[in-house]
Amino acid sequence: MKALLDRLEDLDRRWIYLIVGVGALLPLIYPLNLPVTITPPVRNIYDYIEKLGPEDAVIVSFDYGPSTGPENDPMAEAVMRHILARGIKLVVIALYPLGGVTMSQLSLDRVAKEFPELTYGKDYVNLGYKSGGIAVLKAMGQDLHTIFPMDLAKRPIADLPMMQKIKSYKDLKLAVSIATGIIGEWWANLVNAQYGLPVAVGCTAVSAPKYYAYLRSGNMLGLMGGLKAASEYEKLVMDGYPALRRIYERLNGPGAGGGYTAIKGMDVQSVVHLIIIAFIVLGNLAYFRSRKRPHHSEE
Amino acid sequence: MNKYKFPLVLCFFFGTIPIVAHFVNVEWVTAPSKALNDTWMPIIYVFAILLGIVNVVQNSWTKIKRREQGWFYAVVLLAGLFSMGFFGFTGAIWDTFGGTNLRPDGSATPFHWMATHMFIPLQSTMFALLSFYVASAAYRAFRARNLSATLLLIAGVFVMLGRVPFGDMIFSWLPGAENTFSGITEWLMDCPNAAAQRAIMIGAALGAASMALKVLLGIERSYMGKEQED
Repeated sequence: MKALLDRLEDLDRRWIYLIVGVGALLPLIYPLNLPVTITPPVRNIYDYIEKLGPEDAVIVSFDYGPSTGPENDPMAEAVMRHILARGIKLVVIALYPLGGVTMSQLSLDRVAKEFPELTYGKDYVNLGYKSGGIAVLKAMGQDLHTIFPMDLAKRPIADLPMMQKIKSYKDLKLAVSIATGIIGEWWANLVNAQYGLPVAVGCTAVSAPKYYAYLRSGNMLGLMGGLKAASEYEKLVMDGYPALRRIYERLNGPGAGGGYTAIKGMDVQSVVHLIIIAFIVLGNLAYFRSRKRPHHSEE
Repeated sequence: MNKYKFPLVLCFFFGTIPIVAHFVNVEWVTAPSKALNDTWMPIIYVFAILLGIVNVVQNSWTKIKRREQGWFYAVVLLAGLFSMGFFGFTGAIWDTFGGTNLRPDGSATPFHWMATHMFIPLQSTMFALLSFYVASAAYRAFRARNLSATLLLIAGVFVMLGRVPFGDMIFSWLPGAENTFSGITEWLMDCPNAAAQRAIMIGAALGAASMALKVLLGIERSYMGKEQED
């Protein structure tokens, strides 16, 4: 055991990479289907959307790029499925310069196909990307049509039936920013604080801690932090809507009909987290063993 | 008036308008502020992107010219920048090659194809590599060297367990203890973390406000370049 701990101190990092790689791969091939428990910040978003109806409109802002797509895509799609399943009007925009608009287009296309009874322009729209960040968010509070005169397909938004009633934040009931980086914070500290529009943010796990300050101050009504939160939202919509349950069962299943979901991703994340914890424990055992050795010196 | 006084006066004038408009709700004060926000700021932001492109081209071109280490990657970077830029610009402005989105028949335009089949997978791959580096770094650096490091380590392990379903499975056999680890994680995030985040945010906001004041009053002039001392 002592010899093993001595060897662990100089463990080649390639062994760590190999174990993490295998740990990530195996749950993808053999899904574990681990049960998901719901946390309050995620439930708050679900409950708020549950109170809205077909006469209401929600804006979903794609404030992330492809790099965090595996973490952000499932939460964006789960929220959009929930919104469309309730018949709420959906306005999609993108404020992230590095591929935000492509992510919005791909996600909305995937989700809209599952609701063939809904019509573009009447039930949902994609207004595309606008450069400017804070400036755009401030200007949308005055007049959304000035900032987004045309939709992604270059149709004047004044010609889209649902947009005739949506002129600024006053005509929206909720903003959901699916964000990486700082844009989600702007929604909380600018759009909510200055215009009073309820804001929910879905972010990567690594940026979740900073959003808790806004959550506690009431600038955000809910938070989806990382893939775990996305899987919680997927579970909520699966439990609440039989039609969405069928969609997710197909996506979670194997074969051609299968797709990527947060619930699937949680299996991988669970195993990798356990591997990292095991390495931390082993690293500390090796560290304490080395401290007991004579001539030990801390760098 | 020397060449630095005019920018300083401009900066003071335009920087003061939104501050005054925030406190004085009179049409002739709020209207210019609204115009600045709605029209000028988005346009100025776009110039920042242009500045970034010029910077990338200059740096990469210098690297290629001098055959510096890794110059070939600069060639790949410029090739990617110009090819995507070309299809993006021409597609967005003149709708050449079918624009930048999918064509009406569902087929991909060159820009859309490059975005979905090259840009997205490459970005995702880069981010996915993080898990390997995090595992290796955690193994080497996450040590209980002292009390602070031990507290951080324990909190980190709790959060790692609370952020995956496996954590809650550990005590799921105990009635009422199903959400143990996710509950502890939420408390850690909601109380100690939120308190620390607020302190950081308030500190940063005060720093930003004082820096903005220094810029407006012309005390901080480094944004005008090196020659500011005349």
